[in-house]
Amino acid sequence: MSLLTKTHVGPGTPGSGTFRRAPGFRAAAVAAALPLLLAACGGTDDGATGGTAEDGTWAPTQAIEITAPAATGGGWDTLARTSARLLEEEGLVDHSPQVVNKPGAGGAIGWGYIANNPGDPHKLFVTSPPILLVPMAGDSDYDHDNFTPIARLATDYMVYLVAADSDIETFADLAEQVESGALSVGGGSGPGSMDHVALAGALRAAGADATQANYIPFDGGGEALTSLLGGHVDAAVVGVGEALGMLESGDLRAVGVSSAERVDVVAEVPTLVEQDIDFTFDIWRGVMGPTDLTEPQIAYHETLFADLMETEAWKEESARLGWTDAYQDSEEFGAFLDDTRGEFAEILTEVGLQ
Amino acid sequence: MGMLDQLMYGFSIALTPENLLYVFIGVLAGTVIGILPGLGPMSAIALMIPIAYGMDPTSAIIMLAGVYYGAIFGGSTSSILLNAPGVAGTVATSFDGYPMALKGQAGKALAIAAISSFVGGTIGVVGLMAIAPSLASFAVSFGPTEYFALMVLGLTAVVSLGGRNLTKGLISAVVGVIIALVGIDSQTAITRFTFDRPELYEGVEFLIVALGVFALAEVLVMLSRRGKGGVRKSVTSLRLSRGELARITPPALRSSVLGFFTGVLPGAGATVASFLAYSAEKRIARDGKTFGQGNMKGVAAPEAANNAAAVGSFVPLMTLGVPGSGTTAILLGALMVLGVQPGPTMLTDDPGMFWGVVASMYLGTVVLLVLNLPLIPVFAKVLNTPRTMLLPLVVVFCVVGVYGLSFSVFDLGLLAAFGVIGFLMRRNDFPAAPLILGLILGGLMETNMRRALQISGGEWSVFVTEPISAGLLALAALSLLPSLVRALRRRPSAGTPAEVPAPADGPEEQAPTPRG
Amino acid sequence: MSEKSTARGSAPATGAAPGRPRKPRGSRVPVLPERAFRFSPRTLGVVIALFAIGYLVLAFQMPDYTAVQVPVQPATLPRWLGAVLLVLAVLLFFQRPQADGEPEAAPVAEAAESASGKSTDADADTDADPSADTAKGEARLGRFEDTRLEIGLFVAALAAYAALFEFLGFILATALYLGSMTWYLGYRRHLVNAVVAIALPFALYAGMTWGLDVALPTGLLPF
Repeated sequence: MSLLTKTHVGPGTPGSGTFRRAPGFRAAAVAAALPLLLAACGGTDDGATGGTAEDGTWAPTQAIEITAPAATGGGWDTLARTSARLLEEEGLVDHSPQVVNKPGAGGAIGWGYIANNPGDPHKLFVTSPPILLVPMAGDSDYDHDNFTPIARLATDYMVYLVAADSDIETFADLAEQVESGALSVGGGSGPGSMDHVALAGALRAAGADATQANYIPFDGGGEALTSLLGGHVDAAVVGVGEALGMLESGDLRAVGVSSAERVDVVAEVPTLVEQDIDFTFDIWRGVMGPTDLTEPQIAYHETLFADLMETEAWKEESARLGWTDAYQDSEEFGAFLDDTRGEFAEILTEVGLQ
Repeated sequence: MGMLDQLMYGFSIALTPENLLYVFIGVLAGTVIGILPGLGPMSAIALMIPIAYGMDPTSAIIMLAGVYYGAIFGGSTSSILLNAPGVAGTVATSFDGYPMALKGQAGKALAIAAISSFVGGTIGVVGLMAIAPSLASFAVSFGPTEYFALMVLGLTAVVSLGGRNLTKGLISAVVGVIIALVGIDSQTAITRFTFDRPELYEGVEFLIVALGVFALAEVLVMLSRRGKGGVRKSVTSLRLSRGELARITPPALRSSVLGFFTGVLPGAGATVASFLAYSAEKRIARDGKTFGQGNMKGVAAPEAANNAAAVGSFVPLMTLGVPGSGTTAILLGALMVLGVQPGPTMLTDDPGMFWGVVASMYLGTVVLLVLNLPLIPVFAKVLNTPRTMLLPLVVVFCVVGVYGLSFSVFDLGLLAAFGVIGFLMRRNDFPAAPLILGLILGGLMETNMRRALQISGGEWSVFVTEPISAGLLALAALSLLPSLVRALRRRPSAGTPAEVPAPADGPEEQAPTPRG
Repeated sequence: MSEKSTARGSAPATGAAPGRPRKPRGSRVPVLPERAFRFSPRTLGVVIALFAIGYLVLAFQMPDYTAVQVPVQPATLPRWLGAVLLVLAVLLFFQRPQADGEPEAAPVAEAAESASGKSTDADADTDADPSADTAKGEARLGRFEDTRLEIGLFVAALAAYAALFEFLGFILATALYLGSMTWYLGYRRHLVNAVVAIALPFALYAGMTWGLDVALPTGLLPF
C-alpha cells in the first residue's frame, strides 16, 4: 500500500511538494493529528545511556518510543503503530511501546526531534525514501547521516501505468513517447520526490532524456490514477498498492514495475530489468534511531525487529498491507542508504533539480 | 429487484444485537472525538482502528462507519455551540448555526444539523447503491482543468458571502488565498512565504485559521463587549414546527444531491461541498440576505452536503479502488487490514461485503439520528456555563485542538495571531467567510490551474474548449451577474446611511430575527 | 467619527496581515467597548496597502523555477494577488466611513450601561430571557476600565499559556490558565472554579493520553 507513505498536509496548503501527500485535502486537514510528546522535557535521561549489562548486552529500561514523523493515518504512522502493536502483542518487549506523531515539513520536524535526543536508545523512528529526498531538496537540516540505521523492514514498488487501450506496450515505448514531449505523466508527489525520481531514473536507464518528461504532480497517487483514467494525463507512476484495484479490473495497464523480480500481487507485470532497463526503485520502510547509540543498543534493536519479522502476525499484517519483507540489519541498511542517496543525487542532477 | 435483495442481505449481516451495540459505541465515540476541534473523522477512525483489529470484519466496519458519521456530527456541535468548528467540513455550519445559538435556538440548530445530516447520509447511500458504477465515469471526467473551473465557481461565492461592503469582502478573500499559498509549492517544490520556518513548509493548517478567526475572535468580541449580548440563552428546545421542517427540506434535499456529487470527485470533498451548498442556497433562497444571521437553511445546507459528500467519497473507493479523500484512504487501510479489498471488482467478487458495507453505513446514519437527538439538550447546556468561565474554556478547547493537530507550539502562536486578526476583522466589518473560502478554494484553484496548463503545454484555451470546464466557468460568470448589477446600481447611493439598516456590530454578530 | 478618538490612541494593529499585533499601550482614557479597535477606512486602507507592498516585495524576490519549463511560475499568482490587494486597499482608503453601516447608536447605550456597572441586557434579542446574566450575579467581564487593556491582557495570557504549554505540561498549564482567567474575569464561586480548573485538565488528559493513545505533554508532572 503506498498510501502508507504519505504525509498529510492541510487543505489549501500548496506545500509538501517534495513529499507524497494524502489524497484529498479535506480529511488531511481534519485528521492531521495527535502527536505525542512524551517526556520531551525531562525524565528520560535516567534510562538513556546506562543499562548495558555486564555481559555487554543492553535492554531497554523503559518503554520504547517510536516516532512517526507524520500525522496519524499516514504511511509512517501505520508502520509505527503496526510495529508497536505487534511488538507488544507478541511479547517481544516488556514495556508497551509508545507511538509519537511529529508531523510537519515532510518529516523534517520529526527528524529534528530525534536529532535533539542523541544517544537516547529508547527513541526510534520509522522512515522511508523521503529521509533521503527531503534533505536533498534542502528542506531538512538533518539527513540520514544524522541518525543510526537500525533495520530495513519491508518494501513496496512503483508501477508505470497507461490506459488499457493505449498503444504503448513496453516501457521503452513509453520512454520514447515521453521523451518526445507528447505525453504527460502524472505522479502522486511533487517534483524531486519519490514518484518523480522513480520516473526520471527509469527514463534515464532506458536511454531517454528525463528532462523532457512532462511530469504532473498530483496530491497523492489516487488523484493521479483518476486523472489517468479520465484521460487527463497519458501515463502515471504510482505505488503498486495504489494501483492494485485498477490493474485487477483491467481499466489500466502496467508497462513495468520497479522491482528486481516480479511482484506476487501483480505477477503479470514485467519488471524494468526484464525489459533490459537497469533500474529498480524500492519504496522501502525501515527503523532508525538517534546518533551515538552504542553497539549493544544497536544490536538489541536489530534483533528485536528481526524477531518481529519472524512472527506469523507480522507476516499476516505485512501481506495484507502489500509489503514485501526486505530485512537488512544496521550495517547493510546504512550502506544501502548511502548507495541510494548517490543514485538519487545523480538522477536529480540529471533532471536539473539539484 | 436484485439490488434490494442484496441490500436486505447486507442488512441481515449488519443487523444483529451485537452489531447494533458496536454502531452505538462507534457513533458515541465518534461524536465525542469530533466535538474536540482538530480531531476529525480521519483521526477518529485512525484511533479506533486498533480496537477494530480484533473484531469480526463486519462489526468492525459497522463500528468505523458509526465513528465516521459521529465525528462529522460532533464537529457540527462545536461549530454551532461555540463557533469553534471541530471538523473542516463543518466550518460553513457555524456561519448560521452559531448565530442561531446566539438567538437561543441552539437546540433547534443542532436538531436541524442532525436531521439534515440524516437526509444527506440517506441520499448519499441511495446514490451509492443505485448509481455508483455509472458514477465512476463522472468521477474520472474531472481532471485539473475541470477542478480549476469548479474552484472558480466556488470562489464567486465571495461576492454573496462578502457582506455589505464588497471591497472588504474581496480583501478578506484575497488574504485567504495569500494564506493558502504559504508553504512548499506542490508543483515546483519551491518554498513560498515560509520565512525559512519548517513549521510553515506544509502551509498553514486550515483549522488553525478557522478556530482563530471564528472561535477565538468570538471570545475576544465577547470580552470587548464586557459581557453584553451574545450567547445568554438557555433555550434548548429542539422542537421544529412543521413549517420549519418544510422550510429546511428543499435546501437539505438540494444540498444532499450537490454534496454527493461533489464528494464523488476525488479532488474536492466535504469541505468544498459544504461551502458550495451554502453559497448556492444563499443565492437561491428568497431570504438569502439573512444567511449568516441565523437562517436555519444556512445550517441545513452545509450539514446535508457534508454528510452526503462523506458518502460520495466512497464512490471512487468502491468503484475504482482509489481513495478519494484522506478519510477514505484511512478507511481503505482499515478495510484492507480487515481483509476487504475495495475496488472495481468488489461488487462482482464479493457482493456480500459490498452490501454489508453499504448497509452498515446506512445503519450508522440512522443510529446517529436516534442517539443524538436525545443528547442535544445536554450538549446545548454548554451555553449555560457562566461567561466568565466559558471564555477560558473555549480557549483551552481551541488550544487542545490545535496542539492535537500539529503538536507544535508554533501553531499555538499562529492560533493566537489569527484570533487577534479575526477580532480586528470583526471590529472593522471584514467578513470572515470569504477569507475561509479563499483559503480552501484558492490553493486548489491555483494548483489545478497550473497542473492543467502544464498538461496543455501552456495553452490557456483548454479552460474553454473542455466542455465541463467551459460550462462551469459560464455558470460562474452567470452567478456573478446579479451581484454585479446590484453593486453597480447601488454604487451611487452607497454612502447614504438609510441604505443599510445597522445592526449592532457587524453582520455576523447581532442577528435580527430571520423572516418567516 | 468614532475612529478619530480611538484609532490614534491605540497602537496600529496589523490589519489582516499575518503578524503579531502590538499590545495596546498608552491612554488610560476609557474607551467605549464597541469602539475599541475600530479604525477608519483610511487607516485600514493604509495598513492593508503597506501589507500588500511588503507582500509584493517578497513575491518579486521569489526565484523563478527553471529546472523544468512551467507555464505559470510559483511567483505569478502571488504577484497578482499583491497587486489586487493594493488596488482594493486604495478603494478602501477612499471609502466613506458610513458606508459600513457603523453601529453608532447601539454602542452609546451599551457604553452608558457598562459605565454604571449594571448588567441588564441591552440587546433586543435577549430581552425575552433577561434573567440568565443577572441571576448568577455575573459581573461584567474583566476588571480594566479600558477595553483595549482588557483585550491586550487576555491575548497576553493566551500567549503565556501557549508558551508554557510544553514546559509545564498540559495539566499544569491548563489548570493554571483556566483557574486564573476564570477568577480574573469575575467568576465568584471559587470552589467551583477550583474544581473545574483541576478536574477538567485531568479529564482531558486522561481521555486523550490514555483513552485515545494521543499523549499531551507531561511537562513537570511525572505522568
